[in-house]
Amino acid sequence: MKLSRNKRTNAHSVLNRHLKLQNEISGWLFLLPTVVMMYILVWRPTVLGSVWAFFKMNAYTVGEFVGFENFERVIKHSQFVPMLKNTLMYVFWSFVIGYLPPIILAIMINEVVYFKKTARVLIYLPAVIPGIVGYMMWKSIYAPDMSGLLNQMLVSLGFDKYAWLNDPNFTIIGLVIQSTWKGMGATMLLYYSYLQGASPELYEVAILDGAGVFRRAWTVTRPALSATMLLTFVRQIIGTFQTIDGPLTMTGGGPNGASATLAFQLYQYAFNSGGRATGQAMALGLIIFVILLIGSLFYFKLNKKIEENY
Amino acid sequence: MKCNLKRLGAFMLAVVLLVCMVGCGKNASDVDEQGRTIVKIGGYPEEGNEFRPAFDERIAEFEKNNPDVKVDPIKWNFDLNTFYTQAYGGQLPHLISTNFTEVVPTARARIVADISDVLKKHGYEGMINEQIIDALKYNDGIYSFPKGAYLLGIIYNTELFEKAGLMKADGTPIIPKTWDELVEFGVKIKEKTGKPAIAFPTTGNAGGWIFTPIAWSYGVQFVKENEDGTYSAVFDSPEAVAALQFMKDLKWKYGIVQEDTLVDNQRKKELFATGGAAMIIDSGGNVTEFSAYDMDNNKVGAMGLPAGPKKHVTLMGGTAYMISADASKKQQDAALRWIKAEKFYELNDEVKKNIERELEEKARNDQLIGVKPLTIWSQDAEYTKYYNEMVDKYANININHVKPFNDFVADCPAEIRPEERICAQELYAILDKCLQEVWTNKDADVAAIIKKANNDFQKDYLDNY
Repeated sequence: MKLSRNKRTNAHSVLNRHLKLQNEISGWLFLLPTVVMMYILVWRPTVLGSVWAFFKMNAYTVGEFVGFENFERVIKHSQFVPMLKNTLMYVFWSFVIGYLPPIILAIMINEVVYFKKTARVLIYLPAVIPGIVGYMMWKSIYAPDMSGLLNQMLVSLGFDKYAWLNDPNFTIIGLVIQSTWKGMGATMLLYYSYLQGASPELYEVAILDGAGVFRRAWTVTRPALSATMLLTFVRQIIGTFQTIDGPLTMTGGGPNGASATLAFQLYQYAFNSGGRATGQAMALGLIIFVILLIGSLFYFKLNKKIEENY
Repeated sequence: MKCNLKRLGAFMLAVVLLVCMVGCGKNASDVDEQGRTIVKIGGYPEEGNEFRPAFDERIAEFEKNNPDVKVDPIKWNFDLNTFYTQAYGGQLPHLISTNFTEVVPTARARIVADISDVLKKHGYEGMINEQIIDALKYNDGIYSFPKGAYLLGIIYNTELFEKAGLMKADGTPIIPKTWDELVEFGVKIKEKTGKPAIAFPTTGNAGGWIFTPIAWSYGVQFVKENEDGTYSAVFDSPEAVAALQFMKDLKWKYGIVQEDTLVDNQRKKELFATGGAAMIIDSGGNVTEFSAYDMDNNKVGAMGLPAGPKKHVTLMGGTAYMISADASKKQQDAALRWIKAEKFYELNDEVKKNIERELEEKARNDQLIGVKPLTIWSQDAEYTKYYNEMVDKYANININHVKPFNDFVADCPAEIRPEERICAQELYAILDKCLQEVWTNKDADVAAIIKKANNDFQKDYLDNY
């Protein structure tokens, strides 16, 4: 018996929904392990840590509800404001020193004709050196006595030795230089990949019009990269705000707290307080989380803009 | 069909992963299949470590003498960064060892068990060195068993001392009686050898740790307990200013410390072991570590700390065994029996064997044998006498190089003071910063630095204790 038109339409809808559900179940089953791991390792600790920030903690044993007491202790700590300033200085210097070099390198590699791949590999090489090896290497380079490579160069050129990381005015800059050296290869590749996507006809037209390298970079390359540059700008803020590796391995937060950051202090609260400041560690973590959450929301909005462009 | 296979594959994968995670959380039993109490002992060396065979022998011997116990050795060593996380996660072995400074925090956090009754049952009441026992107590309960104690002293390079004319013909050093005399020695060493006289750390809390006895010798008191049970920081004083000024002068007036200010404890030892400095301040027992840098053991000597303007005092610290609060009474008992085999007050064959085994291992690994450490028992205890005799038997250096330290320990002319019991690590961190400040800024205002440090310690830590 032939079904009526309405009944045929309804049957199709039910069938489509059924098929869609079948496909989604498969998808969710494949995602399930990842979702569970994210729950255990990321979401649950984040939520629990945020909740426990409002409780008195004895090591990792939850005590009574204390409201904002942990936050008060964090903010009233004698080093909170200096470390907040240090963290902002890290962000500032990371832009001054670390923001432009990957862009410039990407443009240069895009422009060269010969040894393009070799140049890419050489610039990317620091990224594959194990982190701790990089820190130890640079600590040795910065050594304030004659064992330091930089001081050997200075003295051979007739200058005096310099204190480098022992100078509180240079410590953050020195650490930013090290992290730029480590990270610019990966960022360079990101820009380079976007440059590869730029229309070659635009470059040809610019060349025909007599535009040199700098002119082409300004009129063709810059607009092609603008959305990515903005994206990297936000990512850099988020990443640099969480700086801990350099201070922990190279300076111990010194000299006299000159390189200590909020993330470094969180580490001290969590692991070097004999369990007495775990609540404050969680409170500080929540403060940093809120700051970075605002940055991340901005990041997602920008990411959407890039995807719309492409 | 394809869709069904895909779903089946996804489902199987999800189940496998979930089962793995469930399996991870499973609790182990307290007894094995033979009904023996399982006790987890931390400190098991890694595969290939030179001390592992000796540890295995000890396990076999212990299980033979204690047939109701099964030892489960765990590769675990104390690390402050992960300790409390492991404790909360129930991942600690039953028997752990930590520094003396962690006894009070771990007892407060109820991570470790009160073993007063277990100690009494095994006859240890009144046996432990009185100078050490106070460091192990919390609220009248005893929460730890001392594993080893140390006194801070000066470890010196005999070769550099020789070049500076500071060694006597019999191999003993000329001993500086005061910190000012030590500075004079330092200036001589710098002139004659070109090397920094002393490597002094300022990061990782090590600077504060070593500066503490120097400050005490200047008459500094760091913390005072108030009548209401709270604590006050009291080191904003002329004595503390004088002590920190002394440290500042080491760098800017005499130029006898290393150039790099940001040195941690490990780097300090590395500088000494590689001939980069003539002296360090450290526990006398740490003389065994320098062979790892291929330093000739006969270039290493040790002596006691000199006196300050107000006092002659040295710092005592140490490591202690503690038993996890998660351990059952049987496991606590088994853990203490394990400790007994190593540290029994009265000697028995098993203890003697363990002592000789330990020294034979050190000799095999070319570690310095000659220093007689501070004992956890009284000096005239049988254990102490036997241990010292064995050290003399197995000594592999000119014993006169370390005789001044051994004499210092045996009959200490200095006041022996344990580390600060309240917020010690936090105090050391603040003192680290003081040292960094005076060594990176020639014009640093010492009095202002001490005042700020005192106020910060009070506000950030003691007020919240």
